[in-house]
Amino acid sequence: MSADRETNQTMTDRDIALLLADAADEVEIGIAPYQAVIRGGRRRRARRWALATAAALVITGTSGTLALAGLRDGNGIEVSPAVTQKATVPSTPEQRHVYVPQETMLAAGTEQGEEWYITVDVWGAPLTKAEAEAQLKAMAGRHEEPWDKDRASALVGKITYFVRRAFGSGEPGLLMGDSAAKEDTMAGTDLKSGATSLDPKKTDGPQRLVVGQVASTAQAVTCTWKDGSSTVARKVAAGADVNSGEATIRPAAGSPDSWFVCVAPAGKTYESAEVTTD
Amino acid sequence: MGDRKQAREAQDDGFQSFVIGRWPRLMRTAFLLTGEQHAAEDLVQSTLEQTFVAWRKVGSADDPEAYVRRVMINAHARKHRRRLKEFLAPRDDSGLVREIADTGDRIAQAEDRSALLEALAQLPPRQREAVVLRYWEDLTETQTAQAMGCSVGAVKSNAAKGIAKLRAIPGLAEMVTQGGRQ
Repeated sequence: MSADRETNQTMTDRDIALLLADAADEVEIGIAPYQAVIRGGRRRRARRWALATAAALVITGTSGTLALAGLRDGNGIEVSPAVTQKATVPSTPEQRHVYVPQETMLAAGTEQGEEWYITVDVWGAPLTKAEAEAQLKAMAGRHEEPWDKDRASALVGKITYFVRRAFGSGEPGLLMGDSAAKEDTMAGTDLKSGATSLDPKKTDGPQRLVVGQVASTAQAVTCTWKDGSSTVARKVAAGADVNSGEATIRPAAGSPDSWFVCVAPAGKTYESAEVTTD
Repeated sequence: MGDRKQAREAQDDGFQSFVIGRWPRLMRTAFLLTGEQHAAEDLVQSTLEQTFVAWRKVGSADDPEAYVRRVMINAHARKHRRRLKEFLAPRDDSGLVREIADTGDRIAQAEDRSALLEALAQLPPRQREAVVLRYWEDLTETQTAQAMGCSVGAVKSNAAKGIAKLRAIPGLAEMVTQGGRQ
């Protein structure tokens, strides 16, 4: 017994060790629930993603067995992810958008006379700790703070993104953010989303705004509201017009994933969101 | 498919092997900590979910076991911080002292185990953690301190108090004097 290594032990201690071993045998071991662990792990990752900046968000888990899912198009045909089709990686940090993020408008609309819009800032991946430290400073200048803000090295090799919501005359505020390595790129029916009120001042109101990330191959996301009705966000091309109140999935500059936004009709509230084939 | 998918699959394979390989041992440890089958399953699953989130870092570390132990002990401690009232099973109103029947009999053995689990359940969480890590996981005081996130002195104190309380339980003392499990 290594318990003997550091202190004087008695025979009784060894007996207790034996009794503990015997008692431990009483548990039914069963089969390791690997898929459940994976699903739970991905839910935790998603929760961390959103809680980094927005504690009020409701987070959905991912769907499907992500660990084994390949990238497939709407017909179930395996396809190459868009990110691998890039010919070259820009060499300077400026070209990689390490110090100035690429901003994409994801959705916009008008609610009771107040204009709102959702954007995502995507910061390029720093390649060195020095680049990461400079990136942290640049982020601070935009009031964007990554999850692991005290450890610049944690940002190396990862893109970092922040979703912002602007409503009415108020300053745009952060909704969520996270850092992601290449291997975290979403695939298949992966989905990370958060739901919150459309008006940031009405945090107790219905959760009408759903913002999330899906694989670049996803063609549709169905947002279901608590009354059973639903809104379908459909894929649009990069740079497509942002029409008022329209639910879409769209690429975001610098992000290997696509982003979707659904807004529930007045009075309805969020229930779930999932990638669908429609 | 690209290198990314291959890297992800390799990582998933590594994690899957880890989960399947460590599940039995983790379940036994969790069972001693919680005293109940379902609570043990929940604790291990929750521990492995957290491990999955950090797997890229943990999987390539020298001692992933140490990380997992730390996560499990933290999760166990958190649960007890939230819920001061112990929910541990086996629960009944018979108290700590159990009449020890003849050993060699399956029912009697089950009761002995039950008495030990109940005795463990009566220990404050930190003492229980120290006893389980030291005497079941067979960790050194230093390793136990790392897992519990405390000093070696605190481990010594918690383990000593825990063991003293276990020894003071008449039923358990009898089991020990009878030589424990035969």
